[in-house]
Amino acid sequence: MATRTYLEAISEALREEMRLDERVFVMGEDVGEFGGAFKVTDGLIEEFGPGRVRDTPIAEAGIVGTAVGAAIAGLRPVCEMQFADFVACGFDQLVNVAGKMHYRLGLAVPLTVRLPTGGGFSGGPFHSQSPEAWFMHAPGIKVVAPSTPADAKGLLVAAIRDANPVVYLEHKNLYRRVKGEVAEEQFETPLRARVAREGRDLVVVAYGAMVHTALEATEDLEGASVEVLDLRSLVPLDEEAILASVEKTSRVLVLDEANATCAAGAQVAALIADRGFEYLDAPVRRVATPDVPIPFSPPLEQAVLPGVGRVREACLELLGY
Amino acid sequence: MNAVDVAMPQMGVSVAEGTVIAWSKAVGDSVAEDETVCEVTTDKIDTEIPAPVSGRLSEILVEVGTTVDVGAVLARIVPGDGAAQAAPEANLPVDADAVSPPSPVEEAREQRRFYSPVAKRIAREHGVELAEVEGTGRRGRVTKADVEAFVAARGASGGANGRALHSDSPYRADHEGDGDDLGGRPQTLSRMRQSIGAAMLRSQELTAACTTVVECDFSLVEQRRRALGVTALPLVAVAAIETLREFPNLNATLEGDALMVFDRVHLGIAVSLGSDGLIVPVIHDAQNLSAEGLAERIRDVAARARARQLVADDVRGGTFTITNPGAFGALIATPIINVPQVAILDLEAIVRRPVIVADEAAGTEAIAIRSMAHLCMSWDHRALDGAYAAQFLTALRMRLEGRTNR
Repeated sequence: MATRTYLEAISEALREEMRLDERVFVMGEDVGEFGGAFKVTDGLIEEFGPGRVRDTPIAEAGIVGTAVGAAIAGLRPVCEMQFADFVACGFDQLVNVAGKMHYRLGLAVPLTVRLPTGGGFSGGPFHSQSPEAWFMHAPGIKVVAPSTPADAKGLLVAAIRDANPVVYLEHKNLYRRVKGEVAEEQFETPLRARVAREGRDLVVVAYGAMVHTALEATEDLEGASVEVLDLRSLVPLDEEAILASVEKTSRVLVLDEANATCAAGAQVAALIADRGFEYLDAPVRRVATPDVPIPFSPPLEQAVLPGVGRVREACLELLGY
Repeated sequence: MNAVDVAMPQMGVSVAEGTVIAWSKAVGDSVAEDETVCEVTTDKIDTEIPAPVSGRLSEILVEVGTTVDVGAVLARIVPGDGAAQAAPEANLPVDADAVSPPSPVEEAREQRRFYSPVAKRIAREHGVELAEVEGTGRRGRVTKADVEAFVAARGASGGANGRALHSDSPYRADHEGDGDDLGGRPQTLSRMRQSIGAAMLRSQELTAACTTVVECDFSLVEQRRRALGVTALPLVAVAAIETLREFPNLNATLEGDALMVFDRVHLGIAVSLGSDGLIVPVIHDAQNLSAEGLAERIRDVAARARARQLVADDVRGGTFTITNPGAFGALIATPIINVPQVAILDLEAIVRRPVIVADEAAGTEAIAIRSMAHLCMSWDHRALDGAYAAQFLTALRMRLEGRTNR
């Protein structure tokens, strides 16, 4: 075990996987000489050369499209979108080409697309989005979102080794903020939810950076025993784990950093309404970002993103229901 | 207060009219809600008409022997507290002074009370009248914790405030008290027995269980198990696992309408704990194990089960279960499915028996002594049909008899 930041865990997973499997290569804007906008790929070009660490033009459709072709031809490309927001330019290649390839032609597309996602650092409307739900609505693509350094490594390894296109959401605000123990050897994290904290009275369902918000907000909640369920994988969604937590606690808060409408949490809430109705002792509550772009202004951004205060308030309301 | 009508009910699609044959109440009598007011007959059935509300019977509109259309008003009841005082006298041996009649306002509030789905479910499971539970939630709402506390308190004291929570059965044992003149000694069911009992009952409530039986020649299995130095169980388990991969719908779980079929086989093995009960540890990914490997794992989980050292992961996630009471000499059984799994295979005692064997080369038949056993499988008719179960058992039998090409 070694202590790693979230960012170091991603880099390590990538470097080790490239050492173990020569089919794995990296492409994206400034990932080579510059080492990536956030320095995730720093040093890779020195070790693996420009053939396996490829700087590309600023053209996401080209990056994803090229990677889809490489994946079909037997390679294991890992694309970096400089910011998750920019994946919209590569959306067609990802959703219509990569996601449907297996169903149309029976071809596997072992492609990983890394999306630096999320807000909280005054990045404004083009650099702060949480676009995971776009891909949840497109069959054929898996969607994962780690919250800890260990899961950041294990889920990236699992994504690279998966025979399907996987969208890997790495939260920018966790890069250097979160540290944790990470096994030094390569390992795969299963695409299942994880109980981040056990509890009896209420469960907060979250993923990505919101897991930390949930843990902080419920650490000392007037003596209540609050479970925090870290989804880790959004597609496939670990329905059994969600329902097990709901059965145990009977009160649910679903937390999203994404805009509220049709977010991952909306799917969780729908699942509970459908299959967990008889477990419920209170309405399923949601806390999410309202349906507005993320503002530049720091106070406005703080007001829009779900924070510890809003989560606490919603939890207390549910506990008193 | 307005009178409430008692009407001739619609008792069937084709029934248009009914005849009053007797009045159980006279004008002026108190009636409790659901108490019989009168009896009616139709060309199909006789039935009792219950009072729609508690109150006093104010009017009888249809005399005995009169036939009226469905929907016709038979009588009227003025709702009121006259009945509320009368009802306990009629039903329960409760001290009338202890029960104060609820005011109309209280009754109205009671009717508006909201119960959450989980509160209703727990109340149903424990036979709790939610109206009797005090609510601590917002605006007096009855929470899950309130119902659970009510159930726990009732369990401890045998009833809140000593008041009966249900009407007692009129049955009384001839000899109550400590002794039993027949020499029976009361025992407390252990927690394990209680949980086994609950799980078995739940399976019988949930599943549409059938049992299919085939007879199998175990001569080859006996020969192989001696060579390997193992019992027949791991050999049967390996054959069952291989056969399951051809019949994946038996390697599955069914919860409600959600059928989950598995390629990997997580094999449950029923382990007897003597008189204490039994437990079913699960060998995950059993499809990766050889007969010797599986024998080793079965020995390991059985030993840990008997030493009470199983951990939670050892008993979760089974997809198919094998039970082996044949070791105790039984010939046939109808095991209960380990829900949410959809099937359980029962290996019975291997016994020497005369059977007809064919010499296909010579075209003759003869009677020979063979080691035979029954393979009994209970399966859930919600998930599959009998032909599938029979095909699986026959394929398993062929495999155990060495009649498949592998």
